[in-house]
Amino acid sequence: MSAIFWVSIRQLTGPWRIVLVLLLAALPVGLAVIVHFVADDDPSFHRDFTTNLLDHMLITGILPIITMALATSAFGNELEDRTLGYLSLTPLARWRIFLPKMLASLVICGPLLLISGITATLLGFDGEVRPTVAVAVALSVGVLSYSAIFTWAGLVTTRALPFALVYVLLWEGVISSFIRGVDYLSVRGYTLAIMSGLDKPSFPALGEQVIEFPVAVVGAAIVTVLFLFLGVRRLRRMDVP
Amino acid sequence: MSASQEPVINVQAVSKWFGSVVAVNDVSLQVFPGITGLLGPNGAGKSTLLHMITGKASCSEGEVTILGQPARDNPGLYRSVGVMSEHEAVYGFQTGRQFVEFAAKLHGLHPVSEPVDRAIGLVGLEDVQHRTLATYSRGMRQRMRLAAALVHDPQVLVMDEPLNGTDPRQRLEFHDTMVHFAEQGRTILISSHILEEVESIATRILLMVSGKLAAAGDFRAIRAKLDEQAYQVRVVTDSPRKMASALAGTDYVDSVSIGENSELTVLSRNVASLQRSIPQLAQEHGIRLLRVEPLDDSLESIFSYVVDR
Repeated sequence: MSAIFWVSIRQLTGPWRIVLVLLLAALPVGLAVIVHFVADDDPSFHRDFTTNLLDHMLITGILPIITMALATSAFGNELEDRTLGYLSLTPLARWRIFLPKMLASLVICGPLLLISGITATLLGFDGEVRPTVAVAVALSVGVLSYSAIFTWAGLVTTRALPFALVYVLLWEGVISSFIRGVDYLSVRGYTLAIMSGLDKPSFPALGEQVIEFPVAVVGAAIVTVLFLFLGVRRLRRMDVP
Repeated sequence: MSASQEPVINVQAVSKWFGSVVAVNDVSLQVFPGITGLLGPNGAGKSTLLHMITGKASCSEGEVTILGQPARDNPGLYRSVGVMSEHEAVYGFQTGRQFVEFAAKLHGLHPVSEPVDRAIGLVGLEDVQHRTLATYSRGMRQRMRLAAALVHDPQVLVMDEPLNGTDPRQRLEFHDTMVHFAEQGRTILISSHILEEVESIATRILLMVSGKLAAAGDFRAIRAKLDEQAYQVRVVTDSPRKMASALAGTDYVDSVSIGENSELTVLSRNVASLQRSIPQLAQEHGIRLLRVEPLDDSLESIFSYVVDR
């Protein structure tokens, strides 16, 4: 399994992709730094700004886009280059092919997103630990669920990136922001609900908007396991190009 | 092979279609230990059939077994089966050795150094094993891919157009490696669209035309049947009449005609002798050869001939 993991890490760390991902991950930190040093010292302003930054920029936009860029390529590269046969024509159980691919994208984008979210939260919440932990846990759950979805998508179609982009912008971005029920089927909804559920006092603005904490935890777990299962099943049933 | 011998690869009434296009149509065949060539022109369905044999693709109908086990959705089978696909893509960032090591690890070998050394030695690429694959020539890449397919010492080896991009010396080495493998009682299935490529290796051939199995059996018997077919070859020289006269004097040329632009059209039932003798005759008579080319897309016409019979 580790052989596939390391080859995938190498495949996913092309210079252009990494530069793009680093720039995206740096955006919330850059904004948080500017506001921290430029805006007045009203703590409630900093908290509200950071909550909005986390919700509308990091969790709604950057988290899915970075994960999408990496996870869809985990198998997308193999399909495009026609190298998937080297993995699939081996005695490995199919989950031992899918899991390291998913973990490779997780290992690259997870730390970047965590650093971005944690730094922005520490700056906006004046170094408080509890909201920082809440953001870190929520982002970890979000990146895990998105990785499972987008790794599967990369296996299903060679055009995973445009499809994933439409899903992220329309479903996770627009529709789930305006139609409350959609949050029950949205990784963004789960991520925000976990963040709020772990530290309600720090994120009062989210309180009424998000779904119930236990539902979010179970929903994220179901999505992750479901797409892991679908990915493994796809590997078993697909015709390898 | 004896009549009672169990086939290593058993293809039973297999078909594959993509929408309304039938790529493989009701093919049944058996492959036994030794070297078997799967021949057919481009688009005959060879690769699709090999995809089904190796479990890469599902059968629309029928079933394939290897060593008595289903070929599809059966990862454990790949402990005994090595596959070299027609796609030449590799992980360009890996060195040749890393590529073979990667294959060894995926096949569960531990430790990997001994089988990797052996596989790379078999294809004779020890000197360049630490260079990245991106710097390899096409022929070297093919050989390193062969090493990766052989690293787990498979009982059955399936190769799709393995000689693409190799030079004559590499073909000779490939030939020796395959014969050596076959002598150990292994089963090797090689596809090619070039008759001469498989002729020197395979003892049995399977001929595919338009998705169907046109003929199967002992290579020499089919070859003899194929030799009854006349080939047309166009020869362009600076002395067409002199060349025509020289060719007409041989016993393997049925007819020679001089067409427009003084080009010769030679009809022969022994294309191998014809191919060998044209340069010799030109040299002997001081004729300058400008172009020699087959007029009919030879394999297709051969296969049509076999099917028609």
